[in-house]
Amino acid sequence: MSEQKNSLEPIILCRDLNKWFGNFHVLKDVSLEVQPKEVLVIIGPSGSGKSTFIRCINRLEEHQEGQIVVDGIELSHDVRNIAAIRSEIGMVFQQFNLFPHLTVMENITLAPRFVRRQARRDAEGIALQLLERVGIPEQARKYPGQLSGGQQQRVAIARALAMQPKIMLFDEPTSALDPEMIKEVLDVMKELAQSGMTMLVVTHEMGFAREVADRIVLFDEGRIVEMGTPEHFFTNPQHERTKLFLSQIL
Amino acid sequence: MPGSSSDSPFYVAPLESPASRRPPVTTVGPLGWLRQNLFSSPANAIATALTMFVSGWVLWQILSWSVRSAQWGVIFNNLRLIGSGLYTPDQIWRVEWTAALLVFLLGLSTGVWGQVARRTLFAVGVILTIIVIIPLIGARIPEPRIYLLVEPQRNPSTLVFLGYKDQEVTFQIDPITDPEEASTSLAGYIENARSRTEWFTRAREARDGTLDFADHTLLLTARLLDARGTDLTVGDAPAQIISTPDDLGGKLTVKLPRDGWYMIQVVRDDTNKADNAGYAWLKVDGVELFPSQIDHVEALEDEYGLAPAPDQAVRAEQSLYRYEGTQNFAEYISLQVAPFFKNISTALFAGLALFINGALIGFLGKRERRVRRAALGGWLLAGPVILILLYGFEGSRSLPLVSTRLWGGLLLTILLTFIGIAASFPIGVLLALGRRSTLPVVKWTCTLLIETIRGVPLITILFMAKQIIPFFSPALVDIDLTIRMMIGMTLFSAAYLAENVRGGLQIIPNGQIEAARALGMNPALTMTLIVLPQALRAVIPAIMGQFISLFKDTSLVAVVGLYELVGIVDTITKGQPVYRPYQREAYIFVAIVYFVISYAMSDVSRRLESTGAGSTRRLK
Ligand SMILES: Nc1ncnc2c1ncn2[C@@H]1O[C@H](COP(=O)(O)OP(=O)(O)OP(=O)(O)O)[C@@H](O)[C@H]1O
Ligand SMILES: [Mg+2]
Repeated sequence: MSEQKNSLEPIILCRDLNKWFGNFHVLKDVSLEVQPKEVLVIIGPSGSGKSTFIRCINRLEEHQEGQIVVDGIELSHDVRNIAAIRSEIGMVFQQFNLFPHLTVMENITLAPRFVRRQARRDAEGIALQLLERVGIPEQARKYPGQLSGGQQQRVAIARALAMQPKIMLFDEPTSALDPEMIKEVLDVMKELAQSGMTMLVVTHEMGFAREVADRIVLFDEGRIVEMGTPEHFFTNPQHERTKLFLSQIL
Repeated sequence: MPGSSSDSPFYVAPLESPASRRPPVTTVGPLGWLRQNLFSSPANAIATALTMFVSGWVLWQILSWSVRSAQWGVIFNNLRLIGSGLYTPDQIWRVEWTAALLVFLLGLSTGVWGQVARRTLFAVGVILTIIVIIPLIGARIPEPRIYLLVEPQRNPSTLVFLGYKDQEVTFQIDPITDPEEASTSLAGYIENARSRTEWFTRAREARDGTLDFADHTLLLTARLLDARGTDLTVGDAPAQIISTPDDLGGKLTVKLPRDGWYMIQVVRDDTNKADNAGYAWLKVDGVELFPSQIDHVEALEDEYGLAPAPDQAVRAEQSLYRYEGTQNFAEYISLQVAPFFKNISTALFAGLALFINGALIGFLGKRERRVRRAALGGWLLAGPVILILLYGFEGSRSLPLVSTRLWGGLLLTILLTFIGIAASFPIGVLLALGRRSTLPVVKWTCTLLIETIRGVPLITILFMAKQIIPFFSPALVDIDLTIRMMIGMTLFSAAYLAENVRGGLQIIPNGQIEAARALGMNPALTMTLIVLPQALRAVIPAIMGQFISLFKDTSLVAVVGLYELVGIVDTITKGQPVYRPYQREAYIFVAIVYFVISYAMSDVSRRLESTGAGSTRRLK
């Protein structure tokens, strides 16, 4: 997967992104381009701003300086822009954030029906296909509380995919899982990457990064420290911080 | 085993694990339960015994009072008033339809959302059995004796009663000549207005020695007449008893020839009226008292003709008599319970049938979206439909206007509750959302409103609703009192509800909102599809508690002069002298009604929490 994808236009473009929480400067001059179908893995120590960065991309957080362009639309205060961009981008959270009062099927069909105005029948058809894809078609009528963590995270992935996004954001999707369940979620993500989805993945799973990523980005203290192919990253890291981080994590 | 292998550093368990054994008998089963819960320590044992003794004693007192002495006629003779207050009697069908609609909707909802539990079926079965069996038992127990006092100077009363073919009626003249008799207690129905008061006065005088019962000169003839005043006959002789000072008293049993009105008339020889002395009881056995409801009496007269109305007539009608003495259990059933069920059995039957129908439809159509929608829509529409049905239209022929001032009784209580719930729920939710709003003006307005209302007692709000609403605008003067009370109750309930809902909103994790936003939902969708459903479910117990207090608090509108359940009962027991002695019964009945409805509401709440759509289990 390390072959370079040289598309004409980046699907995500960040230029000189700056963000503060109060006086705390979380993101410092972050510039990054993501090509369509690229899988970008973001690593870095805790508190380095990884989550904040990917949450800026679908505007769960607001940046104060710089520019983010997603699929040709620049993020601004315009509510319609935000809605348009959010429906292009799916997001999977560390804590799953499934809707506990709805069944798996309802979790997946809710947004397509009420945001995309799909007919219930169509939405359910698509939902079943997606559940098939993530390997749990038999759980459609259950409630999230009745599923294991791995199953819940797979439902969350199916829920995001149901909006037919062009980009998927993953914020530590396996960090809240027991070790036996991590693999089933990673398998789904690998399959998704192979199918050509553009993915931004924050993770500590170095095996996954090595195998699936097109590029890896290391964040530290709100800035990008090093960026490159997995090969470059694991065999020939340049920055001292990268070496330190890899020595701690591997 | 570890012990045996203590010299070896290894321990390996045998391949088969040991068989499970039962726990010691004293720790499980009923015995274990008793031991652990009631008699776990000497202090606990004493507490158990003491509590059981006290509660047993209280229960026994209540039970024995309600069997032996309680007279529930005040309830079953006033069912219409208690049910719907002064609502125009010939328009009462509108109240009945309202009740029917509500009962059907309740059934439907039970079917759709409730577990049609074995308990529900059991309750239905029990009620059916009771309304069939009780009147049957009641019919087999002899009617208690009726007493009318014959006095020396005042003209004797004539008993007018309804008899049936082959019914045996026994009547008796029993002169009171023995002072002993003055202290013997009577057992049966004593005519209240004259006989009973007179009797108590005379008995006291006899005890004081100012009256001598032995002085008896009355010459009396008691005659059994039919509706036209013709003497009935026994054999060839007219059915009459003659009592003279020399030949005291007499007793006669007559079999009635046909259905219809009859009279027992006592004639006193008044040739020397001033010299008359002595008292006598006219005692009648085998005559049934009919209920004193206007519509019931009218129905009787439709069937058997107008009741004869001779001078000094006293009809055999419940409200004119007072029961003296204690009832045994059989009498309790036949006098207190049976008439009650006879009165309400038609309504109860109809209600049950509607409920069961609704529940069946709901249960069978549970999976059909149409049925679920109908149930929900039914409740939404019920409010306006009921209001229009009950209020009617100015000048309409089929639905003439019935002023809300006439609405009363249980009807008004339920309407106030129903409207209060239906209106305060959305207002409360909006206030809660407003209080969490990011717009300062909205936020402060809502907060101010909520805190002001919560800081004032309901009764003050009701008085203010009465006095102040017209103050805002002259157009509001015309809003009638009942509507003003509804507004007051609604606002009060909404303020408390808002705080409950706010509590629910606070516990929704931010992740839920982020997930919804990440899926492209706008704030309105996020609120209605994700946040509110979870927040409301989390506070169902608090909200239902709020609604239950709203239901009970409706009794406060009595203070501004509306006759809801408590108000009307108060009016009945204070306004009608014959019912004045029965306040205890009346208020116990009111308490039972409140309790049953409150209990049902909290039962619904518990079900909502533990099963079905609102399960907190799923909210993990
Ligand atoms: N809403 C907020 N308000 C103030 N500070 C915040 C907020 N969210 C995050 N931060 C701070 O910003 C910094 C970056 O947070 P972020 O969640 O992006 O880190 P992260 O790299 O995802 O860390 P982790 O690996 O622990 O998830 C942290 O120091 C955090 O404390
Ligand atoms: Mg993070």
